[in-house]
Amino acid sequence: MSATRELLTPERVRSVTFTTTRLGRRGVDEAEVRAFCEWAAAGVGRLRTEKDLLEAEVSRLRERLLQGKGNQEAEQPGDVHLQAVSVLSKAQQTADRCVADAQDYSRELVQEARLRRDELLREAKVRAAAILEEARTSAADSDRAREAGAMLGEAERQGLDQEIAYLRTFSDVCRTHLRAYLESLTRSVEEWERAERAGLTAVRKSAARALVHCQHELAGGAAGLAGLVCLGRVG
Amino acid sequence: VDERRLKDSFARVAAHGDEVALFFYSHLFLGNPELRDMFPVSMAGQRDRLLGALGRIVAAVSDLDSLLPFAADLGRDHRKFGTLAEHYPVVGASLLATLAHFSGTEWTQDLERDWTQAYTVVAQAMTEAADDDATRNPPAWEATVVGHERRTTEIAVLRVAPGAAFSYVPGQSVAVECAARPRLWRFYSMANAPRDDGSVDFHVRILDGGMVSSALARGTGVGSRLRLGAPAGTLRLDLSAGRDVLLAAGSTGLAPLKAIIEQAAGLDQPPRVHLVFGARTAAGLYDLADLEEMSGRWPWLTVTAAVSAEPGYPGENGTVADVISRRVPVTDQDAYICGSSAMVTATVRQLRSLGLATDHIHVEDFGWSES
Repeated sequence: MSATRELLTPERVRSVTFTTTRLGRRGVDEAEVRAFCEWAAAGVGRLRTEKDLLEAEVSRLRERLLQGKGNQEAEQPGDVHLQAVSVLSKAQQTADRCVADAQDYSRELVQEARLRRDELLREAKVRAAAILEEARTSAADSDRAREAGAMLGEAERQGLDQEIAYLRTFSDVCRTHLRAYLESLTRSVEEWERAERAGLTAVRKSAARALVHCQHELAGGAAGLAGLVCLGRVG
Repeated sequence: VDERRLKDSFARVAAHGDEVALFFYSHLFLGNPELRDMFPVSMAGQRDRLLGALGRIVAAVSDLDSLLPFAADLGRDHRKFGTLAEHYPVVGASLLATLAHFSGTEWTQDLERDWTQAYTVVAQAMTEAADDDATRNPPAWEATVVGHERRTTEIAVLRVAPGAAFSYVPGQSVAVECAARPRLWRFYSMANAPRDDGSVDFHVRILDGGMVSSALARGTGVGSRLRLGAPAGTLRLDLSAGRDVLLAAGSTGLAPLKAIIEQAAGLDQPPRVHLVFGARTAAGLYDLADLEEMSGRWPWLTVTAAVSAEPGYPGENGTVADVISRRVPVTDQDAYICGSSAMVTATVRQLRSLGLATDHIHVEDFGWSES
């Protein structure tokens, strides 16, 4: 019996046989028994070590399991770490914001551009309508003028040109007269104001004078104007 | 599954708002970085949709008759994003981690079991519907632009040829993705009844700051590639009652209604159809020539154009709602309305005040607003 490397099993222990001793001495071979005991002891020792190791492993795992209950994320190997989730979430939010900002900006630009375009189109349309209307009127005018012009002789046209030159001069004269008349009126009013400041009696006198002067001027002005107008009509 | 417990738990978690979806996606991408590429750069809209879908699922958790069809639609719809069966468990794990995180100490084994069961039911319905759909349809239809016409500064009409048979009902719409804006999907209505050559028209209006609309109208031309999702939408011609039809279109809201007109033209006995087509300016009536040609060809079709913001326009002045009340005798027609939110709201209100029954009013609201 020399199987020390064999595994210690209940079957092996039950089925062990020892060589019986030579005649005269009863019992089994002492060396064999001793060797068997040695082998069995080694086997038991090995089992105990193994059992201790396993026990330690079990309690370690049990402890980890209990810890894991409170902190799901750290439980499984290869599982996603809470902090990593938070970092990635922040990055994603930043990206979302960038995209949204760019989109908002482009939306604003396009809206503004479209409003401006509509406005320009509207203005252009109004302007085009006005230009068209003007062209139509002037076309009608020139048609009329052409018709009228066609009926006039050369002498008549010269007469008309002279009349136009005369009327132009006449309007200048009118303007000069009117300006002079207005200036004299202003002077009268100023004089009236000065008189008012000078005192009651003086005021009365001067006012009467000024009034007379004004009336005179007005009458003169009106007569002048009427004359001018008559002159204009005749011309 | 304890329904009350699940709903209470979701209400507590959802109270954290945007943080919840933010945590969920960060958790998902950290554990599975390869999934990040399936999403757009900006996740803001995505987070709203996730919370919305979760809310709907939780609200219907014990009502399988409404939960399962919703989940099936969701599953089919997710094929275009490239979602595979193997993505469901990792999404489920991140979802549970998110719920646990926001539940704090109130997270129990019972809750975990309830949530796991609910998620399993939904994920199973989604994958089954996706697998079933995969026996008939591609995940998305690759399409080529074969016609591109800029009608106004803001509106373009695109004609695309899908690479595989693409069947739909007039009035439906489809999610479109273009190469210039990967992973951004926007819904557009097919603007024609199905043709023999399979080509499909889209009417694209550039929205202020709109990423996809501007790319489709300006950055896309003949030869460009688009991807189309599965046809969706509930606006469709109902002929069961045999009533006359009133169509109200605001701007490119015309698209699904034009498809419906073409569909009617294919019938033996087309109903009488009156289309009121409105825009802010005369230039905005981008498809009027075609519509007038149609009404000249088909005696059952009447087209009235309305311009709302261009004084001096020689035709009808006013909104679509104004012009309907002025020009269309509203009796018991079936009305179909599509346009901006404001236009749809105003037109529905007008039709109801004119005495049209609510169940005669069919609406497609694209959610955009005309400024």
